[in-house]
Amino acid sequence: MSQLFQEAIIISILASTIRIMTPLLFSAMGELITQRAGIWNMGVEGTMLTGAFAAYLVATLTGSLWLAVLAAIVAGALMGLVIAFMTATLRVDHFIAGLGLNLLAGGLTLYWFQSYIQGRAQPIFSGFQDVDIPLLSDIPVIGPVLFSQRALTYVALLVVPVVWFLLYRSRYGLELRCLGENPKALDVKGLSVSARQYLAVMLGSAMTGLGGGFLMLGFSDRFLADFTAGRGWIVIVALIAGNWRPRGVLIAVTAFAFLESLATHLQVVGAQVPHQLLLALPYLASIGLLMGLRFRSGQPARLGIPYARE
Amino acid sequence: MIVFERRMEANALWTLSSFIMAIVAGLAASAVLIASTGANVPDVFGALLQGSVGSPKALATTLVKATPLILTGLATVIAFRAQIWSIGQEGQVFAGAMGGYLGAQLLAGLPPLLFFPGVLALGMAAGMGLGWIAAVLRNRFAVNEIISTVMLNYLVVYLLSWLLQGGPWGETGGTISYHQSPMLPDTAFLPALFGSSRLHAGVLLPFLAAAICALVMSRTPLGYEIRGLGYNPEALRHKGVDIARTVSVIMMASAALAALAGAIELFGVSHRLRADNLIGLGYAGIIVGMIGGLSR
Repeated sequence: MSQLFQEAIIISILASTIRIMTPLLFSAMGELITQRAGIWNMGVEGTMLTGAFAAYLVATLTGSLWLAVLAAIVAGALMGLVIAFMTATLRVDHFIAGLGLNLLAGGLTLYWFQSYIQGRAQPIFSGFQDVDIPLLSDIPVIGPVLFSQRALTYVALLVVPVVWFLLYRSRYGLELRCLGENPKALDVKGLSVSARQYLAVMLGSAMTGLGGGFLMLGFSDRFLADFTAGRGWIVIVALIAGNWRPRGVLIAVTAFAFLESLATHLQVVGAQVPHQLLLALPYLASIGLLMGLRFRSGQPARLGIPYARE
Repeated sequence: MIVFERRMEANALWTLSSFIMAIVAGLAASAVLIASTGANVPDVFGALLQGSVGSPKALATTLVKATPLILTGLATVIAFRAQIWSIGQEGQVFAGAMGGYLGAQLLAGLPPLLFFPGVLALGMAAGMGLGWIAAVLRNRFAVNEIISTVMLNYLVVYLLSWLLQGGPWGETGGTISYHQSPMLPDTAFLPALFGSSRLHAGVLLPFLAAAICALVMSRTPLGYEIRGLGYNPEALRHKGVDIARTVSVIMMASAALAALAGAIELFGVSHRLRADNLIGLGYAGIIVGMIGGLSR
């Protein structure tokens, strides 16, 4: 009996690890593309929040979840456009640009949310449900963990190899990595640096926005202030911890998700720990992780340095 | 031959006009947002003006509300001038209120002339501890201060949440938890400036703090180092300045200012420890600092 119980708990922990992980994975892969292009985008939190809000708005207005996904992607790309304009065209300090964007997103989403509901009861929607993959979902343990998830989860897991291929096996990826390592080389060849920066940041931010949208559509039915609750910052930490490589970032995001899943299950099991301590665990772990990561060889050489022709 | 040279610094007129343009753009954007929800723009701006400076009472309320924002704004300017992108003001405000509350229990019964400086100093010390942690993370472990301060903000918010709910400081009525501490005794309320008005003595401190900051920035070696760190840290290092020490001093000074905001909120406004009236003071201070920091 207790063995059965334990097995059920372990399956539940692993399944919710995958569930928590996948929205973060979209955002992390998006930010990976942005940062490999040399843009230190600190606006992940704001971009995810905007994506989540856009998804909420469209889901409650139209009732179509896939339109809502599209809205999150578009909202993310627009945030990317703002970041690209500030960093590539105006050459504002990257940190300042991202910080400003976060503050703007926090205020704007709340303002629009309040004026959207106007005091009435908040409209809610019913989000994505689990999709069982036939046959595979019947495998014990692995089935419920991996093959009984939201549809977008499968997409997120596919995005990792796609981003890897894009970065390391395509001409576009070579140019993109060159933006982060040595943009002058592109400029000397007569290729536009800023056009490529715009494209990279908008593509990356679209994925980051999708992550926020998935967070909304897959795991909630309503919008709240500060909905993303620091997940955008966890994404940035995961990028550093993953040494700016797709596989490393995947491992880091999985570790964070596992920690969060463990924390929620400890509550369910009824461990005698204050729940605030469990909620604080991912942030404590982030600080600890960053302290141990002094050597970051994978960091793009020109990350965060605005490019200007001499 | 004509050669274009990148200018080193914008001239005063351009700086001033970009400052005005930023405010005009902000107002214009607000007008667009207000109009987008279907409200009458002049009415809204009129109500804003009336509610903030329209009567002596409104003016007093504005001063009380501005007090923490001036302090967190100053905290931002000090750090950002040195190109230290600390956004730990939010957590430091919380730490200041928590340190102050602890102080109110330790120093209860002291005469007001000792009590208030004591509790405010303890609040500031709590904030400085937080600033010190972020400085050590940056100096010793090369952790980016934006990320570390965000993480610390969340940790402090959860710490307060635990202290008030489940922890030792919560006010409980039977089985209900109110997410706030019991009321402080009225000997621990900051005295009112005019009789029974809500204008507490704490509103004077930001002006004092701003004057001290201006003096330190323009007239002392520390101020020179703060500005130097922003312009050219390499040159500063070659001059023999201990960069790590300077970073620690700046981050702790900035944290002390933000924490003072939290402590004043506790003793001047809420009179009990709760998160509601502290949330957002730090982040709003960053906006205040960014706008104010444009003018040198």
